[in-house]
Amino acid sequence: MNNKIPNFVKTNQFGLLILVIVFICIFSFSTDGFTSRFNIYALSRVVALDIMIGLAMMVVILTGGLNLSLGALGVSAAMFGGWCMESMGIPISITIILVLAFGSFLGWINGFVTVRTGVHSFIVTLATMSIYFGFMTLLTEAEAFRKLPEAFTDFGSLKLFNKYISPLLIISVLTCFVLYYIFKYTDIGRKLIAAGANPDAAELSGISVDRMFIYCHMLSGFLAALAGIMLTARIGAAIPSMAGHLGFDWLLPAFLAPVLGGTLLSGGKVTVFGTMLGAILVTLINNGLYLIDVGEFWVRFFLGIILLGAVLLDRAREYFTVKNSIVS
Amino acid sequence: MSDYILELNNITKNFPGVKALDNANFKLKKKSIHALLGENGAGKSTLIKIITGVYNQNEGKLFLNNKEKSFSSPNEAMNAGISVVHQERNLIRRFSVGENLMLTNLPKNNLGLIDYNTVAKESKKWLDIMELDIDPNTIVSDLTVAKMQLCEIAKALSLESKILLLDEPTSSLSPQDTKNLFALLKRLVAEQDVSIVFVSHKLEEVFEICDEVTVLRDGKNACDSEQITNINRQKLVKLMIGRDEQIIKSKKDVDFIDENLLDLKSINTDLGHKNINLNLKKGEILGLYGLVGAGRTELIKCVLGLDKINSGQILLNNKEIKIKSPKDALEKYKIGYISEDRKKEGLILMHDVLSNAGITVWSNLKKILSFLNDSIVYNKVDPYVKQLEVKTPSYQQIVSNLSGGNQQKISVAKWLASGTDILFIDEPTVGIDIKTKSYLHELIIELSLKGTSIILITSDMPEMISLADRIITMKDFKVVGETINNHNYEEMSSSIMGNIHE
Repeated sequence: MNNKIPNFVKTNQFGLLILVIVFICIFSFSTDGFTSRFNIYALSRVVALDIMIGLAMMVVILTGGLNLSLGALGVSAAMFGGWCMESMGIPISITIILVLAFGSFLGWINGFVTVRTGVHSFIVTLATMSIYFGFMTLLTEAEAFRKLPEAFTDFGSLKLFNKYISPLLIISVLTCFVLYYIFKYTDIGRKLIAAGANPDAAELSGISVDRMFIYCHMLSGFLAALAGIMLTARIGAAIPSMAGHLGFDWLLPAFLAPVLGGTLLSGGKVTVFGTMLGAILVTLINNGLYLIDVGEFWVRFFLGIILLGAVLLDRAREYFTVKNSIVS
Repeated sequence: MSDYILELNNITKNFPGVKALDNANFKLKKKSIHALLGENGAGKSTLIKIITGVYNQNEGKLFLNNKEKSFSSPNEAMNAGISVVHQERNLIRRFSVGENLMLTNLPKNNLGLIDYNTVAKESKKWLDIMELDIDPNTIVSDLTVAKMQLCEIAKALSLESKILLLDEPTSSLSPQDTKNLFALLKRLVAEQDVSIVFVSHKLEEVFEICDEVTVLRDGKNACDSEQITNINRQKLVKLMIGRDEQIIKSKKDVDFIDENLLDLKSINTDLGHKNINLNLKKGEILGLYGLVGAGRTELIKCVLGLDKINSGQILLNNKEIKIKSPKDALEKYKIGYISEDRKKEGLILMHDVLSNAGITVWSNLKKILSFLNDSIVYNKVDPYVKQLEVKTPSYQQIVSNLSGGNQQKISVAKWLASGTDILFIDEPTVGIDIKTKSYLHELIIELSLKGTSIILITSDMPEMISLADRIITMKDFKVVGETINNHNYEEMSSSIMGNIHE
């Protein structure tokens, strides 16, 4: 009966896009400086990170799991990078490769333990969160690396497109395209999704589900490490507390972006560009509320409300899928 | 005034696209045992769900003790005295028998805590009525399957149920247990004023215990509360399937094939299989028959590497192989498994037709850098989906939106596409309409004629006897018999059941 409506309109992404536009309009009219060059540039730096964090969580939600160690892992990787560059004098490009490998390794630990013990990744990553962060604090003695190579920190404050956009955002958007390509056009991407949707059926169809789940965790570690590098470049130093205690500051955007974006918490469905839009929406609301000057605690309050709303949306989506399945 | 305790008149139930029940009638006499029969998908379970308040009918009326009723929840039906004893046990395994029996109404003492003495006393009362010698403090998981079944009935009685619906109560019982159960049911009807609806696929049992029979076919009454004495087996089968029992025969003479393809030699597994020996010949359909819990599916899963094999050998073409996982089985040895549980293990319901049909071939189709797009997969699987006549609006259709028969065809199609030499096929026609069922039968025979070797697990005796070339019987995780199939139903079924009940 609603065949006349184009499919895109019915998707979650479309709803998000509308919301993003609505919020842009609201904040443009109700605040001073929302559309200023300075603010848009600042937004682009923040949103770049939120997208990356959201993607890092998304690839684990795909398995029906969670990665609570995301922030701790990202910061640990970033601190490792800081140490490489400042203490060891390793060139930037090699450092980046090492950091990404290190992040993937920490992700591998998450995945390996989850798969081998059969314990839910919620518990496993709760433990590794504490382990990674504790170990990192121990090794760095909670000291920051502030004397990073200029070429590195300059990149973080580079301004592109008439000084409106940070290059960090370009990295995040490119990552989205790469992930989209992987999930849509590769054998491995299909297997990751199949394993997440129904592990039993995937296993019996000749997919090594354990390996796929480990890949997802490794990818999550890789993306979190990338987020860590980006944050280091943005603030010009690698600081143990840059994602809050135990990396907590990353968790809310990490959940909000993919869940708002339409990734099912039960696994088996990814929406890369939905996650991107979700991250944009979160950043917008965050930024707009600061500009309206409602105070930090209200911002947290609202983000919490939005997360609850997003989870309700997730339930509704599942219900809708079930309802859909009866109609043939 | 009629002497019916339960009467359903002209019941119609629509599901989107399907008429599950179409003007169906069902009349249960007081103090009688009434068989409700029909093929899978005939509407039996829908009817039961209407009686028990899970569904509401679209049309028609339900009378309980001559009063019109409509239940909006299973709880209401239960309070009105209607209880179901399901095939799957509904007991809480870690609780004691007494706790399970009294669960909905646990007696409390003055402090508001559970009064375990009364629990034991009260539940003992019901166990005694059933002449069951079970201590109410026994933990349910320590009971035998048969005793659990009886506890379920005791539980139903404790709820003061006057109507008991028994869904395939004997599917996992030994002949002796079955006999005891039947004696009990007859006694309950005589002494406790209970009326029983008996659902079973075993026609012998129906003739043994039931007074009346109602047969459903395609949602309609094929017969409506007929006296069992007016009917014989042939007639009953004809009523159920709409035609005379017809056995499609596999035309091979396996005696002449002596080329062993797959050999299991004294296999012992973690799950408890003892000294399993069997061989599968090239192009053969080897049937594995047994009651529920005989360990057939479990054996296949051990062979596929999902559970551990402790000792013994698997030989493929006389060479020993070690299968570590289904991936190994598929990619290294070309062995595939069509699961009995297509919703949980066979398909990814939330994904579309194309990715379900193509899942087994992705690895083979991928190009450089693991590149794979829809049209590559489509070109590979399309011939098989077409061959199986899967009815779907498009390849982008979500599989859960398709009918059971079409879903099953897809879970078969994906293995055809993978081009395996050996296929393990587990209960291929459960919950499948008759037409698709005979289509799948022909397909299985055709596959084997083309050289695929098949191990067929089915609990459907006619299906086994029409398809298999050789039948291995399993019981309690052991092989208890092997018979060359001569496709004569009476002979084969008595010989197989003989193997099981020795």
